[in-house]
Amino acid sequence: MEKLSIVESVLDNLPVAIFAKDATNDFTFVLWNKKQEEVTTIRSEKAIGKNDYKLFAKESADYFRSVDKAVIKRGKLMKVPDEILETKDGEEVHLRTVKIPVFDPATQRQLVVGISEDITEQVRSHEQLETLNKTLSEANRELQETQMQLIQAEKLESIGRLAAGVAHEVKNPLALLLLGVDYLSQGIDADDENVDKILTQMREAVERADRIVRGLVDFSSQRALTREAIRLPDLIDDVLLLVKHELTRSNTKVEVRPCKDLPPVFLDLSKFEQVLINLIINATHAMADEPNPKLIIEVVTESLDLVVKNQGARKREVFRSGDKVVILRIIDNGTGIMDADTSRLFDPFFTTKATGKGTGLGLSVSRKIVGLHAGELKIKNREDQKGAIAQITLPTKLDATVGVDSIVAKGVDTNPHKLAPSDED
Amino acid sequence: MSKKVMLVDDEAGFTELLKMNLEKSGDYEVMIENDSMKALATARKFQPDIVLLDVVMPGMDGGDVQALFQADPILAKVPVIMLTALVDSAELSAGAVAQSGTSVMLPKPVDLPLLLRVLEENLEAAGK
Repeated sequence: MEKLSIVESVLDNLPVAIFAKDATNDFTFVLWNKKQEEVTTIRSEKAIGKNDYKLFAKESADYFRSVDKAVIKRGKLMKVPDEILETKDGEEVHLRTVKIPVFDPATQRQLVVGISEDITEQVRSHEQLETLNKTLSEANRELQETQMQLIQAEKLESIGRLAAGVAHEVKNPLALLLLGVDYLSQGIDADDENVDKILTQMREAVERADRIVRGLVDFSSQRALTREAIRLPDLIDDVLLLVKHELTRSNTKVEVRPCKDLPPVFLDLSKFEQVLINLIINATHAMADEPNPKLIIEVVTESLDLVVKNQGARKREVFRSGDKVVILRIIDNGTGIMDADTSRLFDPFFTTKATGKGTGLGLSVSRKIVGLHAGELKIKNREDQKGAIAQITLPTKLDATVGVDSIVAKGVDTNPHKLAPSDED
Repeated sequence: MSKKVMLVDDEAGFTELLKMNLEKSGDYEVMIENDSMKALATARKFQPDIVLLDVVMPGMDGGDVQALFQADPILAKVPVIMLTALVDSAELSAGAVAQSGTSVMLPKPVDLPLLLRVLEENLEAAGK
């Protein structure tokens, strides 16, 4: 008897609820410890000798019974899915229970022993954590939306700056069209050799005007990040068309150094146009006092090891060793960057330009956009100190651009991101 | 006798069509120069009666070209008509430089009847 009382007092002091039912006697309770009293708010004297149907609602009792029978049938420990027990006081208790079949040879009784852990606290903390997490995701989503809005606002600013130049570029084909119409409307001789030439010129003029206008419309469209497989030389061509007027007016010579066997990169076309336009316009401003302004745009692929060695530790966070990267450099022969400005280049609203010439958002937004593509934007002076280099490093692997995927997945993007295969390769 | 018109504009298509239009009437002989840097040399050789000059061009702009013409003893007397897609203040000021001389400005796209009239008037005023 003393042995039994020791076991009972141990059972009563355990921090888990323990009960046992006699399967050979309609699953009546034969054991009901203190913690079980606590979680069920049913006293042991009331429970012993009764089964679930006497103690709990029929629906719950049916469920307990089916689990008990399954435990007996399988003859081994079973983990019961987490349960919520409503006490008489109307409080919810969350329980995590295991049930064990125990055969007592002395009495020939088949018992089902249950051990329930009260996980109410855990569940509450988890719920709180989830609420916090949700708030955090919401804040994060709002932040990303704000970033997208900032990018768009900056883009509208560059469209404003480009508009006059683009209008000029459209007026030229229009002028040509009008001359064509003038010529043709004067009456045409059957043997006039000019007619074919004029019609070809007119068709080309329409296509050119269309290309310029479409370029501007595409550029101005507000979309969340939408990646496509892009060939950088095509992107550079499109951008040069949009800034052609600025380059012509500033008398800037442009040399594009193409790269053989360039892999496609996965970019948001319109946002990357925004970056290149920013960098090119910046370069032309930096070359304003240069008698022979010259812009070099080069694209190269490099092995990562070289990049890491050249670019310092920060690179390691973005790229993995062995990755192939594409590097785009915009090299000018302007004034370069003053030492004092180096650390503030990417600060929002920092500008060395005259009022009205820049908002100071261009580089900060450009770096943000490049970062969203898991790339890196750096600005440095040329080694010969005769101008500056803007350098964009981009991963060639799609899975390296994780930042973009996560944004699409979080629902900021209303358009599914598309991955068009490259026309080439 | 047909008058000699020189077109200086980097837009090759535009100059080609303008040449066709001007030559169709039989009143004009047209020389095209698409490279503003070569405008002076071409003009010296061609000896135009009148010049149609674009404003925004790579290399030298219209104002620069006109300044060179005005420094040349013979070309200084040749009337210059500036053509431009006049769209922003920078071009306006470049145009203003030109207007301070003897030249006229016409907007692009060019109204052909207007251009023909301006050509005639300016040629007449120059005594050609």
